[in-house]
Amino acid sequence: MRKIGILLVFILAALPAWAAGDTLVIAQGVDATTLDPVNHQETPTGNVTAQIFDNFYRRTPDGKYEPWLGEAKALDDLTWELTVRQGVKFHNGEELNAEVIKFNFDRLLNPDKPLKYSTYFKPIKSVEVTGPYTLKVTTAKPFPLFLTRLTYFWVVPKQYIEEKGDAYFANHPVGTGPYKFVRWVKDQEIVLEANEDYWAGKPKIKKVVFRPIPEASSRVAELMTGGVDIITNLAPEAVAVVNGSGVAEARTVPSIRNIFVVLDVKGEGPLHDPKVRQALNYAVDKKSIIEHVLGGNGVPVGCPLNPYIFGYDEKLCEPFPYDPAKAKQLLAEAGYPDGFSFTMGSPSGRYLNDRQVAEAIVGQLAKVGVKVDLRVQEWSSYVGQILERKIPTDAWLIGWGNAQFDADNTLFTLLYGGTVEGGPPQTRFSYWADPAFDKAVLEAQSVVDQAKRQALYKKALERVRAGAPWIFLHQQKDIYGVNKRVKWQPRPDELIWAFDAEIVK
Amino acid sequence: MLTYVLRRLLLVLVVVWGAATLAFGLLYLSGDPVNLLLPLDASPEAREDLRRAYGFDQPLYVQYGRYLIKLTRGDFGTSLRSEEPALELVLVRMGPTLLLAGWGLAFAVALGVPAGVLAAVRKGSLAELATMTLALLGQSIPVFWLGLMLILVFGLELRWLPISGAGSWKHLILPTITVGTFVTASIARLTRSGVIQELRSDHVRTARAKGLAGRVVVYKHALRNAAIPVVTIIGLQLGALLSGAVITETIFAWPGIGRFVLIAVSQRDFPVVQATVVVFALLLALVNLIVDLAYLWLDPRVRYA
Repeated sequence: MRKIGILLVFILAALPAWAAGDTLVIAQGVDATTLDPVNHQETPTGNVTAQIFDNFYRRTPDGKYEPWLGEAKALDDLTWELTVRQGVKFHNGEELNAEVIKFNFDRLLNPDKPLKYSTYFKPIKSVEVTGPYTLKVTTAKPFPLFLTRLTYFWVVPKQYIEEKGDAYFANHPVGTGPYKFVRWVKDQEIVLEANEDYWAGKPKIKKVVFRPIPEASSRVAELMTGGVDIITNLAPEAVAVVNGSGVAEARTVPSIRNIFVVLDVKGEGPLHDPKVRQALNYAVDKKSIIEHVLGGNGVPVGCPLNPYIFGYDEKLCEPFPYDPAKAKQLLAEAGYPDGFSFTMGSPSGRYLNDRQVAEAIVGQLAKVGVKVDLRVQEWSSYVGQILERKIPTDAWLIGWGNAQFDADNTLFTLLYGGTVEGGPPQTRFSYWADPAFDKAVLEAQSVVDQAKRQALYKKALERVRAGAPWIFLHQQKDIYGVNKRVKWQPRPDELIWAFDAEIVK
Repeated sequence: MLTYVLRRLLLVLVVVWGAATLAFGLLYLSGDPVNLLLPLDASPEAREDLRRAYGFDQPLYVQYGRYLIKLTRGDFGTSLRSEEPALELVLVRMGPTLLLAGWGLAFAVALGVPAGVLAAVRKGSLAELATMTLALLGQSIPVFWLGLMLILVFGLELRWLPISGAGSWKHLILPTITVGTFVTASIARLTRSGVIQELRSDHVRTARAKGLAGRVVVYKHALRNAAIPVVTIIGLQLGALLSGAVITETIFAWPGIGRFVLIAVSQRDFPVVQATVVVFALLLALVNLIVDLAYLWLDPRVRYA
């Protein structure tokens, strides 16, 4: 009888097969849409393809970039020399060389069949193979973002795609990355196994499984029973439960995404006055919102950028202190001693407790006499209105995840006002028009020298600080639930790279 | 009879056309899908390129005409997200959903019919009170709450059953109970009232007078006649089962169509949503037809001309 008991214990211990010692199970909210690494727009898809493929430049955990499958050097403002890493092989044995890279550029730049990542490489005019492992890339205009954009350049195999076609490839991917594709059961699991011949070293974890689990509480339940090792988007409310389970814990990282309120500064209303906008920034208590609404999962920030982004300046991005007295004084100086009222929009469920953040702002502004009429909307119609410049409110809460890690993607895209003669018109997201700011960010687009660009962005940030075109709020933190046996730290770019992880007993 | 079936099949076509048109119209009222497909910072040219590639730049009637013509060939276009044929994506995911709905229905019939008969035969007993109280509960518990409670008890506390996903018979148990509970309760209540009514009728009294065994009277004479409204409700409940699957599949990460179309709707993946609507309309219309034909077998008095 006792023997049977012992046997039973052994059998039971062996039961949770997938949580086995050398398998990492990652649960995201949705399944991948494709396994073509350059033809999607979703982080969950990117997390799968990042295991199978390598990019030309790699994003480091602190948001910088470094050469990976090769290196690029600027020869002059319009020409770059690319050197491809030697001795790299695809999972099917195909060799990586300059021809393969050229094929990748051609695939992205084909105007008849645009891929979702094509937009990142638009400025490229021509690509020429100059040797077995070297290429020359010519751009139509100076392209200072080329290196950071090369982190989007996930390299796919030439021969394999030419033989099998794009559609087959998107379901049966072959790359150079640390993990090989095994199988994809749609909406159920994607299984990958270690590429023992990976050029950057043998992966420590032998098998990686991605499982889509849409319901947040089901993800938490799976994590706590050890069914999965890493879950994304852990709700702040669930952190205590997970930490108390003894099996798993919450791990956070400040993300690349800033949350802020855009103010429609056009026209003659109170929001047109920079003093009023400054006052609103002093009247919002960022620390209290982060502590009480976000469960501590945010970092206050006083400019459109954050520390990961090239162009960030610590002094100019210092959060506006919470100072209702000063806010009232500024409002009085601007001619609104009794406050005023405006309308504000917010999405619901798009960002971490977004609606509650908006409600907190409404409450805090009421304390300095500013009455805000809040209108909450479902995301897809909200984003449509913003993109079409048809948003009916005077202000709106939104987040911006600068995936380029470069100030251009935030400052130019969101705030360029079109005041430079002969320059581009105001961008669709900008409601502010400051000539000195416009001049600086436009110039930064045509300078390849990064030190010069840094100085230009400093000038631009000074103008933003004075003009306060938004209410600056916080940098959102991403929260993951992780089994304690997994050695892994979350990254600001939301990548879960199994090659960096390790399972400790 | 044959003309009746043919006429009904023609009606099915009209239903499908109506559903297809509704799906087309509603989606186009709901906003530009290109806004959600590209990142916020994509250039206006990139948006135009994509709009052209999918034909969204054409006038609405041209798009509708193309849509209908392609529809007759079973072509709904390719998914905007995965660039695979929409109908294929939908059909692949119909399998697990039908499996779940089938098990849910089997569970409901297997549990609901005997429970209803028991309550009818033992009218006024504690057994009736218990079954009917449970049935009332079963009909009023929200699906999502039941699913989460089952996960909490059997997945998290007792650890008897897997919490999410698919692949083994064990994965089926919790979703089946979740999706089937409401239908079980409806069937139990309907069976009870039907059998009670039949037990009072003349033919049952005659059967009893003939000296037939109680069991035979209940199952052969009462239940068979009480089955007609139950079959109707089963047919109608298939719709409820399929829509309940949306919630159940999401909670249990079941790889079916309900959860898939939920994502497709929120991302404005037009072709996938349209294909799903049409496939569902076709399915429900056919089920209704089958239910109507089942009456013929159940009730010899029914004749269709």
